Amino acid sequence: MKELRLMKGNEAFAEAVIRAGADGYFGYPITPQSEVMEYLMAQKTHERTGMVTLQAESEIAAINMVYGGAGCGKRVLTSSSSPGMSLKQEGISYIAGAELPCLLLNVVRGGPGLGTIQPSQSDYFQSTKGGGHGDYRLIVLAPSSVQEMADFAGLGFELAFKYRNPVLVLSDGAIGQMMEKVELDVQQPRFTDEEIRKNTPWATIGKTPDRDHNIITSLDLESIKMEQHNQKLQEKYRLIEENEVRYEKIGCEDAEYAFVAYGTSARICQKAIELARAEGIKVGLMRPITLFPFPKKILNDMTSRVKGILCVEMSAGQMIEDVKLAVEGRIKVEHFGRYGGIVHSPSEIVEALKKQIIGG
Amino acid sequence: MAKNKGEIVVDNERCKGCEVCIPACPEDVIAMAKQVNRKGYHYAMPTNDLCTGCTNCAVVCPDGAITVYRKKFID
Repeated sequence: MKELRLMKGNEAFAEAVIRAGADGYFGYPITPQSEVMEYLMAQKTHERTGMVTLQAESEIAAINMVYGGAGCGKRVLTSSSSPGMSLKQEGISYIAGAELPCLLLNVVRGGPGLGTIQPSQSDYFQSTKGGGHGDYRLIVLAPSSVQEMADFAGLGFELAFKYRNPVLVLSDGAIGQMMEKVELDVQQPRFTDEEIRKNTPWATIGKTPDRDHNIITSLDLESIKMEQHNQKLQEKYRLIEENEVRYEKIGCEDAEYAFVAYGTSARICQKAIELARAEGIKVGLMRPITLFPFPKKILNDMTSRVKGILCVEMSAGQMIEDVKLAVEGRIKVEHFGRYGGIVHSPSEIVEALKKQIIGG
Repeated sequence: MAKNKGEIVVDNERCKGCEVCIPACPEDVIAMAKQVNRKGYHYAMPTNDLCTGCTNCAVVCPDGAITVYRKKFID
């Protein structure tokens, strides 16, 4: 039986991770993400499910605690906002290199640097192209509602353990702070020691006589072995690209033009579609739900029907690079976005569509 | 004629500075403070005593950060 609640995006995510059976949260407060840890602390997770909630001394400590917890086969997570996420990149690279599952949440705020505390989508490059050093990718899920903030907690853990890869939920300050109704899943039990032994044979939980030592590391000084390890990782990313593409199409059946937008921008585009259609402009929306793997094929298929694409982001133009690669120059692709903490209005988007795509 | 006189109290720490209350106020009572709260948000605050106690701001506030007090005067 699902439970209906009115919650902030950050709180919905926090409640959903408890219900998904998480074992540990390690974080450090930063606006606009602080409610995640505040909620977990207020819930006394150690009494409710036995889950550890710990405020680390810094973001760097938090991500390395996640590394340790993940190495033991536990469901662990951390969350932060843009500047904190930059601090965590070294640890994330190590976790990806060591092939460990964990859940990350980035409630993006405007940058660069300390930037602002208002919402933005300017961490797309960092999130989808690796972020830290080395050839690695995260599975990136982009929620556009409080409901999805909650849904992607459980889905995130599922994908992380399926592929032994960190999963990033790329939210933003607007969705994190927004109050909406949300349907919460029932409480899942945490992994028992038996389950960890059975389902995650690589976990470092003590040697048994029937196998060698499990070693969690991202280091190999033999280049041949390191290349083989990299090839294995790339094979995994190809598998993810084949199987895990998620997207949503809205009003695309008869569309002559299309918006491509994720997260908060996608919500604003839905209103822009209403405004444009009232003026007789047939426009639809393609919303990538997974930013890595990016729904390239879907966009490529759309080029046979639509005449132009307006890429709407709260950034100076980051996702547009992936959109351009996907459409292979067949149709016109333009960017529209406000940034630095400003959220675009639906009428601005319609104006941009008329000026840059239809008129241009 | 009976007339309502109101006053709002904003929970500064709960306010996230979304500014939804500002256009909702028919008397233009609310503005954003120059100061920020612990999280860094500019919070809503009353700027004059024209409040009629209509509660529009409290109804639209997504975080329930505004409390409205109302007193009835009879001329």
